[in-house]
Amino acid sequence: MKISLQWINDYVDLSDIAPEELAHELTMRTVEVEDIRYQELAYDKVVVGKIMEILPHPQADKLLITIVDVGEAEPYRIVCGGCNLYEGQRVVVALPGSYVRWHGQGEPVLIKKTKLRGEPSCGMICASEELELDELFPASREAEIMDLKDFDFPAGMPISEALQLNDVILEIDNKSLTNRPDLWGHYGIARELSVIFQRNLMPVADFVLDSSLEDNEHSLPVTIESPKRCSRYAGLVFSGLDSRPAPHWMRVRLAAAGITPHNALIDITNYVMMTTGCPTHGFDRRFVNKELIIREARKGETLELLDDTFLQLTAEDLVICDTSEPMALAGVKGGKKDSLHDDTTEMVLEVAVFDPLSIRHTAQRFNVRTEASTRYEKGIDTQRVDISIALACQLLVQLFPEAQLLGYQDAVATTTSQAKIDVSLAALSKSLGRKVDYKQVSTLLFALGFTVQRVDEDILNVVAPSWRSTGDVSLFCDIVEEVARIIGYENFDFIPPTVTLEKAIKQDGFDLERRVREYLAFRCDFREIFTYPWTADDLIAAAGVEAEIELAQPPAPDQSRLRPSLVPGLIGNVRGNLRFQDEIKVFEMAQIFLSGETSPSDPAEIFPVQKLNLAGAIAADEDQGLYIFREVKGLIAQLPDYAGSEQLTFQNISPPVWADKDVWLNIIGQGESIGSLGLLSSKVKNAVGIKRTQVAVFELDMTKLTPQPTRGHEYRPLPHYPLVEEDFAMIVEEKVTWEQVREIVEPMVKELTYVEEYRGSQIPAGKKSLLFHVLLGSDEGTLSSDQIAGKRGAIVKQLSKKLGAELRQ
Amino acid sequence: MLQKLENIEQEAMRALVNIQSEEELQKLSQQYLGKNGELTQVLKGLGQLEPDDRRNVGQMANKVKTSLSEQIDNKRISLSDSAPVLDFPPDLTAPGISPKSGGLHPITQMSYDLNDAFHSLGFVIFSEDEITSELFAFDNLNFPPDHPARETMDTFWIKGTEDKRGADRLCLRPHLTGASVRFLRKYGAPARFVYPGRVYRNESTDARHERAFFQYEALIVEKDFPFASGHLLIDTILEKIFGRKVNTRMRAGFFPFVEPGFEIDMECQVCGGDGCRVCKNVGWIEVMPGGTPHPNVLKEAGLDPEEWSGFYINIGLDRLVMMRYGVDDVRLFHSGDLRFLSQFR
Repeated sequence: MKISLQWINDYVDLSDIAPEELAHELTMRTVEVEDIRYQELAYDKVVVGKIMEILPHPQADKLLITIVDVGEAEPYRIVCGGCNLYEGQRVVVALPGSYVRWHGQGEPVLIKKTKLRGEPSCGMICASEELELDELFPASREAEIMDLKDFDFPAGMPISEALQLNDVILEIDNKSLTNRPDLWGHYGIARELSVIFQRNLMPVADFVLDSSLEDNEHSLPVTIESPKRCSRYAGLVFSGLDSRPAPHWMRVRLAAAGITPHNALIDITNYVMMTTGCPTHGFDRRFVNKELIIREARKGETLELLDDTFLQLTAEDLVICDTSEPMALAGVKGGKKDSLHDDTTEMVLEVAVFDPLSIRHTAQRFNVRTEASTRYEKGIDTQRVDISIALACQLLVQLFPEAQLLGYQDAVATTTSQAKIDVSLAALSKSLGRKVDYKQVSTLLFALGFTVQRVDEDILNVVAPSWRSTGDVSLFCDIVEEVARIIGYENFDFIPPTVTLEKAIKQDGFDLERRVREYLAFRCDFREIFTYPWTADDLIAAAGVEAEIELAQPPAPDQSRLRPSLVPGLIGNVRGNLRFQDEIKVFEMAQIFLSGETSPSDPAEIFPVQKLNLAGAIAADEDQGLYIFREVKGLIAQLPDYAGSEQLTFQNISPPVWADKDVWLNIIGQGESIGSLGLLSSKVKNAVGIKRTQVAVFELDMTKLTPQPTRGHEYRPLPHYPLVEEDFAMIVEEKVTWEQVREIVEPMVKELTYVEEYRGSQIPAGKKSLLFHVLLGSDEGTLSSDQIAGKRGAIVKQLSKKLGAELRQ
Repeated sequence: MLQKLENIEQEAMRALVNIQSEEELQKLSQQYLGKNGELTQVLKGLGQLEPDDRRNVGQMANKVKTSLSEQIDNKRISLSDSAPVLDFPPDLTAPGISPKSGGLHPITQMSYDLNDAFHSLGFVIFSEDEITSELFAFDNLNFPPDHPARETMDTFWIKGTEDKRGADRLCLRPHLTGASVRFLRKYGAPARFVYPGRVYRNESTDARHERAFFQYEALIVEKDFPFASGHLLIDTILEKIFGRKVNTRMRAGFFPFVEPGFEIDMECQVCGGDGCRVCKNVGWIEVMPGGTPHPNVLKEAGLDPEEWSGFYINIGLDRLVMMRYGVDDVRLFHSGDLRFLSQFR
């Protein structure tokens, strides 16, 4: 919202305080001021000029040469393409050094001395849009320059002074206002400033309504048929009006506040709203048939809008009707027929309060947001109608001396009840962390419009003002906030909290998550990534997984499904990173979503299954397939030792959909399959376009890893006698597995280590050479060479007997 | 003969001085002490000498042999000690070999740093699932039904539930605050806990806006906890992220779930508070909301608001990490781009 400081100064005199200070104090205590704009800065070196002479341009038909008095000793020669120039005309001249917006668009451009089609030109005669004044001085056709014919300004007068464009505008963050319906007008902000700076606050208006006019023969009967949705409705009938423009000062203020000026009548309705925060609406009296009824619309009723469109109304919409039909969508938008027209001479002025939720629903249903609906949906107190009527009447009389209030009717369904709160000074002091007394609290609250009555030494009866009683203030903590913010949060000293030591924090689950991440990152050389929970359809399809949980309004049409597995996202990541590097190691730990029903926290909530998963991938050269598979297998096998969880083993139980049919394993923890690893199948790689690369992938269910309560290492005594290293190269059939070899050899040695498999020209077809390494030794003494040879021979013999292995020569 | 021995000794000693390598030394040793060495020859020829000479020459020859052997041994040790470890001239400007380059995501790193700091203050960690309900995302947190504040958080509703209400209307959590009620219901008060995590908003993205981003929330619930003590939480977070004391200010702010509510600003780290483009010339940057939990929230959490109060803060981790490192596009955090991630070691 834009706040004009001149407007504020009507109600509280702050003219001696710098705008920066006002903005700072408002920001600290009330609402955030996002920007301070000095109007006149935009009009530096822009002055009133008087055209003395107009000459044809020798080179161009559409340009003219003007001789303009700009208040200096010599007149300026300015080339201009304006279509409405005449000698003696008062115009706006942007002198060299000023900035204008070319045709009202783009960034401001610096005006310099120049030549136009060969003719020197010093400055520019401006159209209103070039100075962002088109709201105040709308142009009726293209190339029309701004004509100051209605003003008698001397040449050379700065335009900011001439047109009163010397206001300072505070731009307030609307988000910080959502809970303060009282601040949606200048008067509310003026009140806050009067409290902060301890200044006197003037009344909104001193007009006194003549009560003898109420319900007289000129007034229209007002009936509220939906008292829950309209708490108060006043209809005032005025005569002696016309469509004259509002005075310049009012037009300038409205424009500064972001409201386009129209004519005096419409401008007054807006001016009242921008002052008190209570919207008002004018109907042309001629078209209001007999009475005003506030009711729910009937099925089939329509409302024609100013832009000639029709709204189809339903019973959910609150409308203002006369005897025959709806005239306006209450609190949101007026209809075309009954609105104020150029030939309006009598007006029915609506000053009313509608229910916030009702307004909000209607505005949402028709997808319209107006200044009025924005204010109504925050909640306006019924009492505000009175000051709004007073201000409206005062302005009407001021702008239309011949205007007359003929009569009015004021229907009140309910009155906003003021919130009553008992406040204990002791409790207040405790909450604030600082002692406050009756005098300080009552003074401060009184200035904000609260009334305070002292019950005893400690207890105060506090009554909130009506404008704070529509949901904003209702509890003790609201009073804490009022007192604290006006004292100023920066004025409270830090109080160190006291500590009770109970026991050390032990959260095994979180510790395990962290150790797993650190193990993968720091031991295994993986990079942690994050991908979105919504996953692209093509990746889900490629990975072959089923995704059943969907978003109602996805970020993109092909990203509606939430991941049932981390693998699709991982595949997408690998594909992306392969553009820049050949070898990739990435992992992600995040939640996955599966269909099902769970209630982990509140029995009222039924969620799909949500689990924390861990997944990773290694991408490498085509010939590295088995190696990276083994790398993944190794890191899973070792994970429990490094990260501190129960042991994991491997089995073939059910193949993961994304894996090659021969290269996969399930990960077994505590007797059940908790995940898988494997090489991506050619089909998956083809589907996503990964070429000449092997990708080893693993995924497991983190919730199935059981953390060990403490470090799980085991100590083995060091050998008393030296161990002997021996290497074996055994030629075996392809079908012989390492597992078979291990079962035979392991019991015969102190330690057994797999080295590699080898296939090559020296190895017969259908066979492979298996290399392994053993440590031999005895607990009784150092082995002799005969003993070593004996043990070696026994190993070869056993392998040969049971697996048909031969020692490679 | 004695003269010859003397000559041999002197000759050998002179040669020894100039020897530079083990090979030359070996050769020298052979030349004098080897099977056919000069000194060996002398000793072999002793038998042909007169008995008197034999004794003198023998003594002398043995003395020379012992001395020469000693000298050669000493030379051998000295040559070995001074042997260079490389047999070529090394280029020491060649770059070092990098250790493994794996690592945690920068957000995880910061989150863990914060966990450690809060652990040291006696805070526990908590987390809830990412899909939550309107009940916990809004209703329990004192957001009135249909209140405009609900709209400031454009929520990703789960298909099939979007037209329902309360516990039946499911969404990806738009903020973490709902978890506080879950924690307090489960563990009660007093409580000190942090709950980091990822949240989701359905808005359009650019360099400063993301649909998925990380928050870090901390909550203390104690008896009679004055809000001025809340600075402890603020300072802990900012000092951990920026590595030094950062000036902050608390100002009036509205959030339905706190009362009083604050906006917490920190001094702009780019200009040091003087005003610059980053802080829109005000010298302060809005970094987090905070405040005392609203009585209605405490009630939903099963606590008596007359008895309990506390302090809550919530920071957008992405934004602070961006400021800390000068990252200029928030979308990089979810890009998975290793060229970006590998910069955070």
